Amino acid sequence: MNLLRTLLAKDLRRTARNPLPWLIHLAMPLVITALIGLAFGRGAGDGAGLGRIRFALVDEDDSPLTQFLRGGLNQGEGGKYLEPVFLNRATALAQLNDDQLSAVVVIPKHFTGDYLSGRGPVTLELIKNPARSIHPAVLEELLGALVTGLNALARNLPSELPAWREVFARGADYRQVADLIVRTGEKIETVRRYLDPPLITYTKEVKPREDAGSGAGGPGPALNLFGYLLAGLATMFLLFQANIGINDLYGEFAGRTFERYHTLHQRLLPFLVAKGVFVVVMLLLCAAIMLAGGGLLFGIHWQHPLPVALLVLGFAAFGAGFAALFAALVPDARRADALSNLVAMALGLAGGCAFPPQSLPVFLREHITALLPTAWLAEGIRELEFGGVPVNWPMILLRLLAVAGVLLGLATWQFRRRFARGVRP
Amino acid sequence: MSLLRAQRLSKSFGEVRAVDGVSFEVRAGELYGLLGPNGAGKTTTLSMIAGLLRPDAGEVVVDGTPFSADPQRAKRIMGVVPQELAVYEELSARENLEFWGRIAGLAPRAARARADELLAALALTDRAREPVKTYSGGMKRRVNLGCALLHRPRLLLLDEPTVGIDPQARLNILEFIRGLQRDGTAILYTTHYLEEAETLCQRVGIIDHGRLLAEGTLAELQQRLGGDRLFILEGELGGAKPEAWPRFAERFQVLQLTDRQLIVAARDTRDPADCLRDLLDLPVRVENVTLKRPSLNDVFLQLTGRDLRE
Repeated sequence: MNLLRTLLAKDLRRTARNPLPWLIHLAMPLVITALIGLAFGRGAGDGAGLGRIRFALVDEDDSPLTQFLRGGLNQGEGGKYLEPVFLNRATALAQLNDDQLSAVVVIPKHFTGDYLSGRGPVTLELIKNPARSIHPAVLEELLGALVTGLNALARNLPSELPAWREVFARGADYRQVADLIVRTGEKIETVRRYLDPPLITYTKEVKPREDAGSGAGGPGPALNLFGYLLAGLATMFLLFQANIGINDLYGEFAGRTFERYHTLHQRLLPFLVAKGVFVVVMLLLCAAIMLAGGGLLFGIHWQHPLPVALLVLGFAAFGAGFAALFAALVPDARRADALSNLVAMALGLAGGCAFPPQSLPVFLREHITALLPTAWLAEGIRELEFGGVPVNWPMILLRLLAVAGVLLGLATWQFRRRFARGVRP
Repeated sequence: MSLLRAQRLSKSFGEVRAVDGVSFEVRAGELYGLLGPNGAGKTTTLSMIAGLLRPDAGEVVVDGTPFSADPQRAKRIMGVVPQELAVYEELSARENLEFWGRIAGLAPRAARARADELLAALALTDRAREPVKTYSGGMKRRVNLGCALLHRPRLLLLDEPTVGIDPQARLNILEFIRGLQRDGTAILYTTHYLEEAETLCQRVGIIDHGRLLAEGTLAELQQRLGGDRLFILEGELGGAKPEAWPRFAERFQVLQLTDRQLIVAARDTRDPADCLRDLLDLPVRVENVTLKRPSLNDVFLQLTGRDLRE
């Protein structure tokens, strides 16, 4: 223990004397987090999701049908997520250029006539704000769903729509209109189950919390997209940081200080463990910056900070072992750097750090992902924070620590072989 | 009594046989020099003794116990000064010394006290608190040396400790090493500097291409060349064929022959004047003859046919 403390104190002292490289390393997660924030636009201030999508609706048709559609935008669930403003095209475009809107939706002239006559598929115009990413994309998806719904409706009401067109064009007495409403209503009722999206639904079973004090289960909060992304990106980034952190081991090897240590001690493990602990400390700092900074930037409220911190600790140990093994296997620092970063990226991608695991290829998802420590951490955090189901995080932590121990042991064995064979950097 | 015994040590790197059956011993309190040109196998030999490299064959015995039987015990007895500066340049000399003292197993207070002692002995006290990276080459070498001495090793392995420093700094280090030897430390000193081996070491082993070619005291090595008589003939020697000269081979051993110079050692104990007469009678035009005591370079020349300084 004394030996470990001495080695660790030496590394901390050296870092204090020459802090710039590490300050840069610690600044990197801040920069990355800020970049993500900028790339995804203004986040969710309330921490519950995307916030309301502010967009302009330009109604160039101005018919009873389009008035009906306009009115529906603010109703019910729509009002929670959408914030439409009704403008003319010029004003809407001016506000879009001013970055006051996420998009402009234009209902073109003759929209109602074309639709009710069944002349072709429904067309709406969407002008997206290029300075924003998420909101315009969400709006595009919503409009796609709306257009699909309207087209489906048109196909199922081939005789009613012309009648409606007549009503809108020339007017009709209330008996005719009432009759039309009844007929249309009956038809909609018969196709309702096909028209009412989504066709496939998923209902998450939320188990009642058995142990209210466990802090790792119970009904989960709403998904925070940025928190979800950050958990994955931070996981991958920590592996890159581990590679950077272990560079000092190359320095010790090239500078012969590791060799000098070996002239005094037969066992190499304490030296590597000390280096690993040093890397873990640095990774914990990086993780704290990323997760806390991300929390501030994106309004993420981390619900289970202790389990998350412990999982990150386990992953940092894994990262240190992973990077140490690379340093042991590849004597050339630059080659090892490139190679280990590639492997880290592969582990990150296959572990669902950059994409949700559900979108990974089936083979990867079913046979590989579950075996990767990157997936253990990323999914562990996601499940803890946004999953709403109990997570066996102590088991994940144990697995991470076990893998870290194995990797560090392998690194020690390989370094011993390198010394014995006289391999020099 | 030998503190270190290297027995038939061999080491190959692929096709290259770096060390080939090297055997020697270093006695307690003795300063033994391993002399050879760069690439001769000195560092490889030293690395095997220090336990950094595993020998392909042979054995290292430290204080009567095979190294492999108890490596940690052997390491406690040894101090190793690598050729490269194996120190932390961001740290001060004091911090480096204390750190290596702690690594060698000293308690904090003992490490501090010993570091003070060494800083004074190495004339580093004045700048003990400054980072090593601000030191001159000679000062860094002294720190490098001091880092191996914290635990008062009985056997010190020094791998070319004066490479790349100015003459004055080199003299200081050599004097310090002499002091260590006087205090009873056994020292294995590798070098390619003849003068260091001649003036510092009590016994010298000459190594080249991984093989120990000869060893002994300076006098014993000189004796290989006919005692203290070596003749250097200068003149027109372009077409000279010593093997054709009558009785020449019986009386003299040719160490080196160039167009301008012939170096020979007398094979017998005749009077130098008689030898000189024989040489002046040779069928070549000689402009100058010098009589000198053989140096280690001459021994190396005799053993390898090459000049160590080449």
